Amino acid sequence: MLQLNGVSKDFGGLRALSDVTLNVRGGQIKGLIGPNGAGKTTLFNLITGVFPPSRGSIRFLGKETTNLEPEKVARLGVSRTFQQPHLFKSLTVWENVMLGRHYRTRGEFIACGFRFPKAIKEEKDIQEQSLEYLNLFGLADKKDQIASKLPLGEQRYLEVARALATEPKLLLLDEPTSGLNDHETEQFRDLLFKIRGTGVTLLVIEHHMRFIMGLCEEIAVLNFGTKIAEGSPQEIQVSPEVITAYLGTEENID
Amino acid sequence: MGTLLKDRNKLAWLLATVVLLLLPFAFGKGFYLNTMNFIALHAMVAVGLCLLVGYGGQLSISHSAFFAIGAYASAIFCLRYHLPPFTSILLSQGLSALLAWGIGWVVLRLKGHYLAIATLSFTIIVEVLVKEMAWLTGGLQGLSSIPSISIGGWVIDSDYRFYFVAWPITMLLLLFSLNLVDSRMGRIFKAIKENEDIARQFGADVKAYKIKLFIVSSVYASIAGSLYAHFITFISPVTGSIMFAIDIIMVLAFGGFTLLWGAMIGVVSLTFLNEYLTIFADFKRAIYGLALVIIILFFPNGLLLGLRDFGNRIFLFITEGRKKHASA
Repeated sequence: MLQLNGVSKDFGGLRALSDVTLNVRGGQIKGLIGPNGAGKTTLFNLITGVFPPSRGSIRFLGKETTNLEPEKVARLGVSRTFQQPHLFKSLTVWENVMLGRHYRTRGEFIACGFRFPKAIKEEKDIQEQSLEYLNLFGLADKKDQIASKLPLGEQRYLEVARALATEPKLLLLDEPTSGLNDHETEQFRDLLFKIRGTGVTLLVIEHHMRFIMGLCEEIAVLNFGTKIAEGSPQEIQVSPEVITAYLGTEENID
Repeated sequence: MGTLLKDRNKLAWLLATVVLLLLPFAFGKGFYLNTMNFIALHAMVAVGLCLLVGYGGQLSISHSAFFAIGAYASAIFCLRYHLPPFTSILLSQGLSALLAWGIGWVVLRLKGHYLAIATLSFTIIVEVLVKEMAWLTGGLQGLSSIPSISIGGWVIDSDYRFYFVAWPITMLLLLFSLNLVDSRMGRIFKAIKENEDIARQFGADVKAYKIKLFIVSSVYASIAGSLYAHFITFISPVTGSIMFAIDIIMVLAFGGFTLLWGAMIGVVSLTFLNEYLTIFADFKRAIYGLALVIIILFFPNGLLLGLRDFGNRIFLFITEGRKKHASA
Protein backbone atom coordinates (compact mmCIF):
# COMPACT_ATOMS: atom_id res chain seq x y z
CA MET A 1 0.00 0.00 0.00
CA LEU A 2 2.68 2.48 1.05
CA GLN A 3 6.25 2.06 -0.13
CA LEU A 4 9.16 4.24 0.90
CA ASN A 5 12.23 3.54 -1.15
CA GLY A 6 15.63 4.79 0.06
CA VAL A 7 14.13 7.98 1.46
CA SER A 8 16.49 10.63 2.92
CA LYS A 9 15.76 14.06 4.30
CA ASP A 10 18.30 16.78 5.03
CA PHE A 11 17.51 19.97 6.89
CA GLY A 12 20.41 22.23 5.99
CA GLY A 13 23.42 20.19 7.00
CA LEU A 14 21.45 18.03 9.38
CA ARG A 15 20.42 14.61 8.12
CA ALA A 16 17.07 13.74 9.70
CA LEU A 17 16.50 10.56 7.72
CA SER A 18 18.91 8.55 5.66
CA ASP A 19 18.05 5.84 3.20
CA VAL A 20 14.89 4.57 4.86
CA THR A 21 13.01 1.81 3.07
CA LEU A 22 9.66 0.95 4.54
CA ASN A 23 6.65 -1.04 3.40
CA VAL A 24 3.15 -0.84 4.82
CA ARG A 25 0.80 -3.52 3.59
CA GLY A 26 -2.93 -2.91 3.26
CA GLY A 27 -4.98 -3.89 6.33
CA GLN A 28 -1.93 -3.89 8.58
CA ILE A 29 -1.29 -2.08 11.84
CA LYS A 30 2.35 -1.17 11.64
CA GLY A 31 4.35 0.35 14.45
CA LEU A 32 7.15 2.88 14.14
CA ILE A 33 9.33 3.26 17.20
CA GLY A 34 12.65 4.80 18.05
CA PRO A 35 14.27 7.16 20.54
CA ASN A 36 13.45 10.88 20.49
CA GLY A 37 14.86 12.62 17.44
CA ALA A 38 15.10 9.40 15.44
CA GLY A 39 13.11 11.00 12.59
CA LYS A 40 9.72 9.39 13.10
CA THR A 41 7.64 12.54 12.77
CA THR A 42 9.81 13.68 9.84
CA LEU A 43 8.87 10.42 8.14
CA PHE A 44 5.17 11.24 8.65
CA ASN A 45 5.72 14.70 7.20
CA LEU A 46 7.33 13.16 4.12
CA ILE A 47 4.50 10.68 3.64
CA THR A 48 1.84 13.40 3.93
CA GLY A 49 3.69 15.75 1.59
CA VAL A 50 4.44 18.51 4.11
CA PHE A 51 7.89 18.60 2.53
CA PRO A 52 9.46 16.44 -0.19
CA PRO A 53 12.29 14.01 0.54
CA SER A 54 15.84 15.01 -0.44
CA ARG A 55 16.34 11.61 -2.03
CA GLY A 56 14.34 8.47 -2.60
CA SER A 57 10.74 7.90 -3.60
CA ILE A 58 7.38 7.39 -1.96
CA ARG A 59 4.52 5.46 -3.53
CA PHE A 60 1.00 5.17 -2.21
CA LEU A 61 -1.47 2.72 -3.76
CA GLY A 62 0.91 2.29 -6.67
CA LYS A 63 0.95 6.04 -7.36
CA GLU A 64 4.10 8.12 -7.06
CA THR A 65 3.52 10.71 -4.31
CA THR A 66 7.14 11.76 -3.71
CA ASN A 67 6.70 15.43 -4.65
CA LEU A 68 2.93 15.71 -4.28
CA GLU A 69 1.41 18.65 -2.34
CA PRO A 70 -0.17 17.77 1.03
CA GLU A 71 -3.74 18.44 -0.14
CA LYS A 72 -3.27 16.01 -3.02
CA VAL A 73 -1.81 13.30 -0.78
CA ALA A 74 -4.71 13.79 1.62
CA ARG A 75 -7.19 13.43 -1.23
CA LEU A 76 -5.62 10.06 -2.13
CA GLY A 77 -6.71 8.83 1.30
CA VAL A 78 -3.92 9.56 3.75
CA SER A 79 -4.85 11.22 7.02
CA ARG A 80 -2.96 11.81 10.23
CA THR A 81 -2.95 13.01 13.79
CA PHE A 82 -0.25 15.15 15.36
CA GLN A 83 2.11 14.67 18.27
CA GLN A 84 0.92 17.97 19.73
CA PRO A 85 -2.80 18.09 18.90
CA HIS A 86 -3.36 20.62 16.11
CA LEU A 87 -7.06 21.27 16.42
CA PHE A 88 -8.56 24.44 15.01
CA LYS A 89 -9.11 26.84 17.88
CA SER A 90 -11.60 28.97 16.00
CA LEU A 91 -13.86 25.95 15.46
CA THR A 92 -15.95 23.89 17.86
CA VAL A 93 -15.41 20.17 18.52
CA TRP A 94 -18.15 19.34 16.04
CA GLU A 95 -16.86 21.74 13.39
CA ASN A 96 -13.38 20.23 13.66
CA VAL A 97 -14.79 16.85 12.66
CA MET A 98 -16.95 18.47 9.97
CA LEU A 99 -13.73 19.89 8.57
CA GLY A 100 -12.53 16.32 8.17
CA ARG A 101 -15.45 15.79 5.78
CA HIS A 102 -14.29 18.71 3.67
CA TYR A 103 -12.71 17.01 0.70
CA ARG A 104 -15.31 14.26 0.69
CA THR A 105 -17.92 16.90 -0.13
CA ARG A 106 -18.22 19.15 -3.15
CA GLY A 107 -20.40 22.26 -2.81
CA GLU A 108 -18.31 25.38 -3.45
CA PHE A 109 -18.89 29.14 -3.46
CA ILE A 110 -21.97 29.33 -5.66
CA ALA A 111 -23.71 26.25 -4.26
CA CYS A 112 -23.02 27.23 -0.63
CA GLY A 113 -23.73 30.95 -1.09
CA PHE A 114 -27.06 30.43 -2.80
CA ARG A 115 -27.93 27.45 -0.58
CA PHE A 116 -28.76 25.16 -3.49
CA PRO A 117 -30.82 22.16 -2.33
CA LYS A 118 -27.87 19.83 -2.90
CA ALA A 119 -25.67 22.07 -0.73
CA ILE A 120 -28.26 22.06 2.07
CA LYS A 121 -28.49 18.28 1.90
CA GLU A 122 -24.74 17.95 1.81
CA GLU A 123 -24.35 20.18 4.88
CA LYS A 124 -26.93 18.09 6.74
CA ASP A 125 -25.05 14.92 5.79
CA ILE A 126 -21.79 16.48 6.98
CA GLN A 127 -23.35 17.33 10.33
CA GLU A 128 -24.89 13.89 10.83
CA GLN A 129 -21.83 11.93 9.77
CA SER A 130 -19.58 14.08 11.94
CA LEU A 131 -21.85 13.47 14.90
CA GLU A 132 -21.48 9.72 14.35
CA TYR A 133 -17.70 10.04 14.57
CA LEU A 134 -18.08 12.09 17.75
CA ASN A 135 -20.35 9.39 19.18
CA LEU A 136 -17.74 6.75 18.41
CA PHE A 137 -15.31 8.64 20.66
CA GLY A 138 -17.86 9.65 23.27
CA LEU A 139 -17.48 13.34 22.48
CA ALA A 140 -21.01 14.03 21.25
CA ASP A 141 -22.11 15.92 24.36
CA LYS A 142 -19.13 18.24 24.08
CA LYS A 143 -19.73 19.04 20.43
CA ASP A 144 -20.31 22.77 20.90
CA GLN A 145 -17.23 23.40 23.02
CA ILE A 146 -14.16 25.06 21.59
CA ALA A 147 -11.85 22.21 20.61
CA SER A 148 -8.72 23.51 22.32
CA LYS A 149 -10.55 23.73 25.68
CA LEU A 150 -10.85 19.92 25.88
CA PRO A 151 -8.52 17.93 28.13
CA LEU A 152 -5.51 16.49 26.29
CA GLY A 153 -6.88 12.94 26.15
CA GLU A 154 -10.07 14.09 24.51
CA GLN A 155 -8.14 16.31 22.12
CA ARG A 156 -6.31 13.19 20.96
CA TYR A 157 -9.60 11.36 20.46
CA LEU A 158 -10.94 14.34 18.54
CA GLU A 159 -7.89 14.34 16.29
CA VAL A 160 -8.50 10.69 15.45
CA ALA A 161 -12.19 11.42 14.89
CA ARG A 162 -11.32 14.28 12.54
CA ALA A 163 -8.82 12.12 10.65
CA LEU A 164 -11.32 9.25 10.37
CA ALA A 165 -13.97 11.63 9.06
CA THR A 166 -11.88 11.97 5.90
CA GLU A 167 -12.48 8.22 5.32
CA PRO A 168 -8.76 7.56 4.95
CA LYS A 169 -7.27 4.39 3.51
CA LEU A 170 -4.10 4.96 5.52
CA LEU A 171 -4.19 6.58 8.95
CA LEU A 172 -0.98 7.88 10.50
CA LEU A 173 -1.06 8.28 14.28
CA ASP A 174 1.72 10.23 15.96
CA GLU A 175 2.07 9.14 19.60
CA PRO A 176 -1.67 8.74 20.13
CA THR A 177 -1.42 7.52 23.73
CA SER A 178 0.94 10.11 25.20
CA GLY A 179 -0.95 11.87 27.94
CA LEU A 180 -3.48 9.05 28.32
CA ASN A 181 -3.70 6.91 31.48
CA ASP A 182 -3.53 3.08 31.44
CA HIS A 183 -7.27 2.61 31.28
CA GLU A 184 -7.65 5.08 28.40
CA THR A 185 -4.75 3.43 26.60
CA GLU A 186 -6.52 0.05 26.80
CA GLN A 187 -9.69 1.59 25.42
CA PHE A 188 -7.70 3.26 22.70
CA ARG A 189 -6.21 -0.03 21.59
CA ASP A 190 -9.66 -1.58 21.25
CA LEU A 191 -10.72 1.43 19.23
CA LEU A 192 -7.77 1.07 16.86
CA PHE A 193 -8.59 -2.60 16.30
CA LYS A 194 -12.13 -1.51 15.52
CA ILE A 195 -10.85 1.08 13.05
CA ARG A 196 -8.65 -1.52 11.39
CA GLY A 197 -11.74 -3.74 11.17
CA THR A 198 -13.37 -1.13 8.93
CA GLY A 199 -10.57 -1.58 6.40
CA VAL A 200 -8.24 1.26 7.41
CA THR A 201 -4.51 0.62 7.40
CA LEU A 202 -2.64 2.12 10.35
CA LEU A 203 0.89 3.34 10.86
CA VAL A 204 1.48 4.26 14.48
CA ILE A 205 4.36 6.12 16.13
CA GLU A 206 4.54 5.21 19.80
CA HIS A 207 6.76 5.40 22.85
CA HIS A 208 4.48 3.26 24.99
CA MET A 209 6.13 -0.14 24.49
CA ARG A 210 3.51 -2.40 26.02
CA PHE A 211 0.84 -0.65 23.94
CA ILE A 212 2.68 -0.94 20.65
CA MET A 213 3.79 -4.54 21.21
CA GLY A 214 0.18 -5.59 21.82
CA LEU A 215 -1.13 -3.60 18.88
CA CYS A 216 1.07 -4.22 15.87
CA GLU A 217 1.89 -7.25 13.77
CA GLU A 218 4.99 -5.55 12.51
CA ILE A 219 7.26 -2.86 13.89
CA ALA A 220 10.02 -0.79 12.32
CA VAL A 221 12.66 0.83 14.49
CA LEU A 222 14.37 4.10 13.62
CA ASN A 223 17.50 5.42 15.26
CA PHE A 224 19.39 8.56 14.19
CA GLY A 225 17.42 8.61 10.94
CA THR A 226 18.15 5.06 9.83
CA LYS A 227 16.02 1.96 10.07
CA ILE A 228 17.87 -0.40 12.37
CA ALA A 229 15.33 -3.21 12.63
CA GLU A 230 12.00 -4.40 11.32
CA GLY A 231 9.91 -7.40 12.23
CA SER A 232 7.34 -8.87 14.56
CA PRO A 233 7.15 -7.54 18.15
CA GLN A 234 8.92 -10.69 19.37
CA GLU A 235 11.80 -10.23 16.95
CA ILE A 236 12.10 -6.55 17.83
CA GLN A 237 12.25 -7.22 21.56
CA VAL A 238 15.28 -9.50 21.21
CA SER A 239 17.05 -7.56 18.46
CA PRO A 240 20.49 -6.52 19.77
CA GLU A 241 20.45 -3.29 17.69
CA VAL A 242 17.19 -2.21 19.24
CA ILE A 243 18.31 -2.98 22.75
CA THR A 244 21.48 -1.01 22.12
CA ALA A 245 19.55 1.95 20.71
CA TYR A 246 17.20 2.10 23.68
CA LEU A 247 19.46 1.10 26.54
CA GLY A 248 22.88 1.99 25.19
CA THR A 249 25.81 -0.43 25.20
CA GLU A 250 27.94 -0.99 28.24
CA GLU A 251 30.63 1.23 26.76
CA ASN A 252 28.07 4.00 26.37
CA ILE A 253 27.01 3.69 29.98
CA ASP A 254 30.63 4.04 31.05
CA MET B 1 -25.94 26.61 19.38
CA GLY B 2 -24.85 26.44 15.77
CA THR B 3 -28.38 26.22 14.42
CA LEU B 4 -29.66 28.92 16.77
CA LEU B 5 -26.96 31.28 15.60
CA LYS B 6 -27.80 30.50 12.00
CA ASP B 7 -31.46 31.23 12.62
CA ARG B 8 -30.62 34.43 14.47
CA ASN B 9 -28.57 35.59 11.52
CA LYS B 10 -31.37 34.76 9.10
CA LEU B 11 -33.91 36.45 11.32
CA ALA B 12 -31.80 39.59 11.57
CA TRP B 13 -31.37 39.56 7.81
CA LEU B 14 -35.10 39.20 7.17
CA LEU B 15 -35.91 41.95 9.65
CA ALA B 16 -33.32 44.33 8.21
CA THR B 17 -34.55 43.66 4.67
CA VAL B 18 -38.19 44.31 5.55
CA VAL B 19 -37.34 47.51 7.44
CA LEU B 20 -35.13 48.77 4.62
CA LEU B 21 -37.75 48.10 1.94
CA LEU B 22 -40.47 49.82 3.97
CA LEU B 23 -38.31 52.84 4.81
CA PRO B 24 -39.27 54.93 1.74
CA PHE B 25 -42.97 54.41 2.51
CA ALA B 26 -42.50 55.59 6.08
CA PHE B 27 -40.29 58.60 5.38
CA GLY B 28 -41.32 59.56 1.86
CA LYS B 29 -39.13 60.47 -1.08
CA GLY B 30 -36.80 62.89 0.70
CA PHE B 31 -33.18 63.59 -0.06
CA TYR B 32 -32.14 60.97 2.50
CA LEU B 33 -32.91 58.35 -0.19
CA ASN B 34 -29.88 59.57 -2.11
CA THR B 35 -27.69 58.97 0.95
CA MET B 36 -29.28 55.57 1.46
CA ASN B 37 -28.50 54.63 -2.14
CA PHE B 38 -24.85 55.44 -1.65
CA ILE B 39 -24.90 53.43 1.55
CA ALA B 40 -26.23 50.45 -0.42
CA LEU B 41 -23.46 50.73 -3.00
CA HIS B 42 -20.74 51.15 -0.38
CA ALA B 43 -22.17 48.28 1.62
CA MET B 44 -21.72 45.92 -1.34
CA VAL B 45 -18.05 46.82 -1.53
CA ALA B 46 -17.59 46.66 2.25
CA VAL B 47 -19.26 43.25 2.61
CA GLY B 48 -17.14 41.93 -0.24
CA LEU B 49 -13.94 43.21 1.34
CA CYS B 50 -15.04 41.89 4.73
CA LEU B 51 -15.30 38.39 3.23
CA LEU B 52 -11.79 38.67 1.89
CA VAL B 53 -10.19 40.18 5.00
CA GLY B 54 -12.22 38.39 7.65
CA TYR B 55 -12.30 34.94 6.11
CA GLY B 56 -9.50 34.92 3.57
CA GLY B 57 -7.19 36.81 5.93
CA GLN B 58 -6.06 39.06 3.09
CA LEU B 59 -6.10 42.84 3.01
CA SER B 60 -6.67 44.05 -0.53
CA ILE B 61 -6.57 47.71 -1.56
CA SER B 62 -7.83 46.91 -5.04
CA HIS B 63 -11.55 47.15 -4.36
CA SER B 64 -11.77 50.74 -5.57
CA ALA B 65 -10.12 49.57 -8.79
CA PHE B 66 -12.73 46.84 -9.27
CA PHE B 67 -15.44 49.41 -8.53
CA ALA B 68 -13.96 51.55 -11.31
CA ILE B 69 -13.63 48.57 -13.66
CA GLY B 70 -17.27 47.65 -13.06
CA ALA B 71 -18.34 51.24 -13.70
CA TYR B 72 -16.18 51.85 -16.76
CA ALA B 73 -16.71 48.45 -18.37
CA SER B 74 -20.46 48.73 -18.11
CA ALA B 75 -20.47 52.30 -19.40
CA ILE B 76 -18.17 51.41 -22.29
CA PHE B 77 -20.22 48.36 -23.31
CA CYS B 78 -23.27 50.63 -23.30
CA LEU B 79 -21.87 53.72 -25.00
CA ARG B 80 -19.32 52.29 -27.42
CA TYR B 81 -20.93 48.94 -28.24
CA HIS B 82 -24.57 49.98 -27.76
CA LEU B 83 -25.46 47.03 -25.59
CA PRO B 84 -28.48 47.35 -23.29
CA PRO B 85 -27.54 48.34 -19.68
CA PHE B 86 -28.59 45.02 -18.23
CA THR B 87 -26.37 43.03 -20.61
CA SER B 88 -23.52 45.50 -20.05
CA ILE B 89 -23.71 45.05 -16.31
CA LEU B 90 -23.61 41.26 -16.59
CA LEU B 91 -20.73 41.33 -19.09
CA SER B 92 -18.79 43.69 -16.82
CA GLN B 93 -19.02 41.23 -13.95
CA GLY B 94 -17.61 38.53 -16.22
CA LEU B 95 -14.76 40.84 -17.17
CA SER B 96 -14.07 41.75 -13.53
CA ALA B 97 -14.10 38.09 -12.53
CA LEU B 98 -11.63 37.31 -15.29
CA LEU B 99 -9.35 40.19 -14.25
CA ALA B 100 -9.62 39.22 -10.58
CA TRP B 101 -8.63 35.68 -11.51
CA GLY B 102 -5.55 36.93 -13.35
CA ILE B 103 -4.56 39.39 -10.64
CA GLY B 104 -5.30 36.89 -7.89
CA TRP B 105 -3.23 34.21 -9.59
CA VAL B 106 -0.19 36.50 -9.61
CA VAL B 107 -0.68 38.48 -6.42
CA LEU B 108 -2.08 35.97 -3.95
CA ARG B 109 1.29 34.27 -3.60
CA LEU B 110 2.14 37.26 -1.45
CA LYS B 111 1.06 37.77 2.13
CA GLY B 112 0.43 40.62 4.56
CA HIS B 113 2.03 43.94 3.63
CA TYR B 114 3.33 42.57 0.35
CA LEU B 115 -0.16 41.65 -0.76
CA ALA B 116 -1.46 45.07 0.32
CA ILE B 117 1.27 46.82 -1.68
CA ALA B 118 0.73 44.64 -4.76
CA THR B 119 -3.03 45.30 -4.76
CA LEU B 120 -2.32 49.00 -4.16
CA SER B 121 -0.12 49.03 -7.26
CA PHE B 122 -2.92 47.45 -9.26
CA THR B 123 -5.26 50.22 -8.09
CA ILE B 124 -2.77 52.87 -9.18
CA ILE B 125 -2.29 51.19 -12.57
CA VAL B 126 -6.04 51.13 -13.15
CA GLU B 127 -6.31 54.80 -12.18
CA VAL B 128 -3.55 55.75 -14.62
CA LEU B 129 -5.04 53.66 -17.44
CA VAL B 130 -8.44 55.24 -16.90
CA LYS B 131 -6.90 58.71 -17.20
CA GLU B 132 -4.64 57.93 -20.16
CA MET B 133 -6.79 55.72 -22.40
CA ALA B 134 -8.97 58.68 -23.30
CA TRP B 135 -10.17 57.10 -26.60
CA LEU B 136 -11.91 54.45 -24.52
CA THR B 137 -12.55 56.00 -21.13
CA GLY B 138 -12.93 59.66 -21.97
CA GLY B 139 -9.81 60.48 -19.97
CA LEU B 140 -10.16 63.22 -17.37
CA GLN B 141 -13.52 64.26 -18.83
CA GLY B 142 -14.91 60.86 -18.04
CA LEU B 143 -17.97 59.34 -19.65
CA SER B 144 -21.39 60.95 -19.50
CA SER B 145 -24.94 60.21 -20.67
CA ILE B 146 -24.67 56.60 -19.57
CA PRO B 147 -28.14 55.12 -20.07
CA SER B 148 -30.11 54.22 -16.95
CA ILE B 149 -31.19 50.69 -16.25
CA SER B 150 -34.71 49.90 -17.31
CA ILE B 151 -36.74 46.98 -16.06
CA GLY B 152 -39.78 46.19 -18.16
CA GLY B 153 -40.39 49.80 -19.25
CA TRP B 154 -39.50 51.25 -15.83
CA VAL B 155 -36.49 53.48 -16.20
CA ILE B 156 -34.46 53.57 -13.01
CA ASP B 157 -33.65 57.26 -13.08
CA SER B 158 -34.74 58.56 -9.67
CA ASP B 159 -33.41 58.04 -6.15
CA TYR B 160 -36.71 56.47 -5.26
CA ARG B 161 -36.60 53.86 -8.01
CA PHE B 162 -32.91 53.13 -7.65
CA TYR B 163 -33.45 52.46 -3.97
CA PHE B 164 -35.52 49.40 -4.87
CA VAL B 165 -32.80 48.12 -7.17
CA ALA B 166 -29.76 48.79 -5.01
CA TRP B 167 -31.00 47.62 -1.64
CA PRO B 168 -32.40 44.22 -2.72
CA ILE B 169 -29.10 43.52 -4.47
CA THR B 170 -27.12 44.62 -1.41
CA MET B 171 -29.20 42.44 0.88
CA LEU B 172 -28.91 39.47 -1.50
CA LEU B 173 -25.14 39.87 -1.57
CA LEU B 174 -25.14 40.04 2.23
CA LEU B 175 -27.26 36.88 2.39
CA PHE B 176 -24.91 35.15 -0.04
CA SER B 177 -22.00 36.08 2.24
CA LEU B 178 -23.78 34.98 5.42
CA ASN B 179 -24.60 31.65 3.76
CA LEU B 180 -21.08 31.21 2.48
CA VAL B 181 -19.53 31.88 5.86
CA ASP B 182 -21.89 29.40 7.46
CA SER B 183 -21.03 26.44 5.21
CA ARG B 184 -18.20 24.03 4.49
CA MET B 185 -16.44 26.87 2.66
CA GLY B 186 -16.70 29.16 5.69
CA ARG B 187 -15.25 26.43 7.89
CA ILE B 188 -12.33 25.72 5.60
CA PHE B 189 -11.54 29.44 5.37
CA LYS B 190 -11.48 29.73 9.16
CA ALA B 191 -9.15 26.74 9.22
CA ILE B 192 -6.92 28.19 6.51
CA LYS B 193 -6.75 31.51 8.32
CA GLU B 194 -5.73 29.76 11.53
CA ASN B 195 -3.23 27.28 10.13
CA GLU B 196 -2.77 26.94 6.41
CA ASP B 197 -0.42 23.94 6.62
CA ILE B 198 -2.81 21.84 8.66
CA ALA B 199 -5.79 22.85 6.51
CA ARG B 200 -3.89 21.61 3.46
CA GLN B 201 -3.35 18.24 5.11
CA PHE B 202 -7.13 17.98 5.28
CA GLY B 203 -7.40 18.38 1.54
CA ALA B 204 -7.93 22.14 1.30
CA ASP B 205 -6.71 23.50 -2.02
CA VAL B 206 -5.64 26.75 -0.38
CA LYS B 207 -4.33 28.49 -3.51
CA ALA B 208 -7.49 27.85 -5.53
CA TYR B 209 -9.80 28.79 -2.65
CA LYS B 210 -8.01 32.09 -2.07
CA ILE B 211 -8.20 33.01 -5.75
CA LYS B 212 -11.90 32.14 -5.88
CA LEU B 213 -12.62 34.20 -2.76
CA PHE B 214 -10.69 37.09 -4.28
CA ILE B 215 -12.84 36.82 -7.42
CA VAL B 216 -16.10 36.77 -5.44
CA SER B 217 -14.98 39.68 -3.30
CA SER B 218 -13.84 41.75 -6.30
CA VAL B 219 -17.07 41.10 -8.19
CA TYR B 220 -19.00 42.54 -5.22
CA ALA B 221 -17.12 45.82 -5.74
CA SER B 222 -17.58 45.59 -9.50
CA ILE B 223 -21.37 45.12 -9.21
CA ALA B 224 -21.54 48.25 -7.06
CA GLY B 225 -19.45 50.11 -9.66
CA SER B 226 -21.69 49.08 -12.57
CA LEU B 227 -24.86 50.07 -10.71
CA TYR B 228 -23.25 53.39 -9.79
CA ALA B 229 -22.42 54.17 -13.42
CA HIS B 230 -25.97 53.56 -14.63
CA PHE B 231 -27.49 55.43 -11.70
CA ILE B 232 -25.34 58.58 -11.70
CA THR B 233 -24.97 58.32 -15.53
CA PHE B 234 -21.61 60.08 -15.33
CA ILE B 235 -18.24 58.63 -14.32
CA SER B 236 -14.76 60.10 -14.15
CA PRO B 237 -11.35 59.00 -12.82
CA VAL B 238 -12.49 60.18 -9.38
CA THR B 239 -15.08 57.36 -9.38
CA GLY B 240 -12.74 54.60 -8.33
CA SER B 241 -9.95 56.62 -6.81
CA ILE B 242 -7.68 55.23 -4.18
CA MET B 243 -9.37 57.32 -1.48
CA PHE B 244 -12.44 55.17 -1.98
CA ALA B 245 -10.42 52.03 -1.17
CA ILE B 246 -9.20 53.68 2.02
CA ASP B 247 -12.76 54.72 2.91
CA ILE B 248 -13.91 51.10 2.67
CA ILE B 249 -11.03 49.91 4.84
CA MET B 250 -12.05 52.62 7.29
CA VAL B 251 -15.57 51.16 7.29
CA LEU B 252 -14.17 47.75 8.23
CA ALA B 253 -11.90 49.26 10.86
CA PHE B 254 -15.00 50.78 12.36
CA GLY B 255 -17.39 47.83 12.03
CA GLY B 256 -15.00 44.94 12.54
CA PHE B 257 -12.79 43.19 10.04
CA THR B 258 -14.33 39.77 10.56
CA LEU B 259 -17.98 40.66 11.02
CA LEU B 260 -20.27 40.91 7.98
CA TRP B 261 -22.93 42.75 9.97
CA GLY B 262 -20.19 45.04 11.25
CA ALA B 263 -19.45 46.03 7.65
CA MET B 264 -23.10 47.02 7.22
CA ILE B 265 -23.21 48.97 10.48
CA GLY B 266 -19.86 50.55 9.62
CA VAL B 267 -21.10 51.85 6.27
CA VAL B 268 -24.26 53.34 7.75
CA SER B 269 -22.48 55.01 10.68
CA LEU B 270 -19.60 56.38 8.64
CA THR B 271 -21.82 57.73 5.90
CA PHE B 272 -23.90 59.71 8.38
CA LEU B 273 -20.78 60.74 10.27
CA ASN B 274 -19.42 61.93 6.95
CA GLU B 275 -22.41 64.22 6.49
CA TYR B 276 -21.72 65.89 9.85
CA LEU B 277 -17.99 66.12 9.27
CA THR B 278 -18.44 68.20 6.10
CA ILE B 279 -18.03 71.32 8.26
CA PHE B 280 -14.37 70.36 8.62
CA ALA B 281 -13.99 70.33 4.82
CA ASP B 282 -10.51 69.16 3.85
CA PHE B 283 -9.56 68.36 7.43
CA LYS B 284 -12.00 65.44 7.24
CA ARG B 285 -9.33 63.22 5.71
CA ALA B 286 -6.92 64.09 8.50
CA ILE B 287 -9.55 63.24 11.10
CA TYR B 288 -10.23 59.92 9.34
CA GLY B 289 -6.54 59.11 9.16
CA LEU B 290 -6.02 59.84 12.84
CA ALA B 291 -9.10 57.82 13.78
CA LEU B 292 -7.88 54.86 11.69
CA VAL B 293 -4.51 54.87 13.43
CA ILE B 294 -6.11 55.04 16.87
CA ILE B 295 -8.60 52.27 16.09
CA ILE B 296 -5.95 49.93 14.69
CA LEU B 297 -3.72 50.61 17.72
CA PHE B 298 -6.34 49.91 20.35
CA PHE B 299 -8.87 47.69 18.55
CA PRO B 300 -7.03 45.71 15.87
CA ASN B 301 -10.16 43.69 15.13
CA GLY B 302 -12.19 46.82 14.48
CA LEU B 303 -13.85 49.37 16.74
CA LEU B 304 -17.26 47.72 17.21
CA LEU B 305 -15.84 44.23 17.77
CA GLY B 306 -13.25 45.72 20.09
CA LEU B 307 -15.85 47.60 22.09
CA ARG B 308 -17.97 44.45 22.31
CA ASP B 309 -15.04 42.43 23.69
CA PHE B 310 -14.20 45.28 26.03
CA GLY B 311 -17.82 45.34 27.23
CA ASN B 312 -17.75 41.57 27.75
CA ARG B 313 -14.60 41.87 29.80
CA ILE B 314 -16.07 44.58 32.03
CA PHE B 315 -19.22 42.50 32.42
CA LEU B 316 -17.10 39.47 33.38
CA PHE B 317 -15.06 41.61 35.76
CA ILE B 318 -18.19 42.84 37.53
CA THR B 319 -19.88 39.43 37.74
CA GLU B 320 -16.67 37.67 38.79
CA GLY B 321 -16.06 40.36 41.39
CA ARG B 322 -19.54 39.88 42.76
CA LYS B 323 -19.03 36.11 42.92
CA LYS B 324 -15.78 36.56 44.81
CA HIS B 325 -17.49 39.01 47.11
CA ALA B 326 -20.32 36.54 47.71
CA SER B 327 -17.98 33.65 48.45
CA ALA B 328 -15.85 35.75 50.82
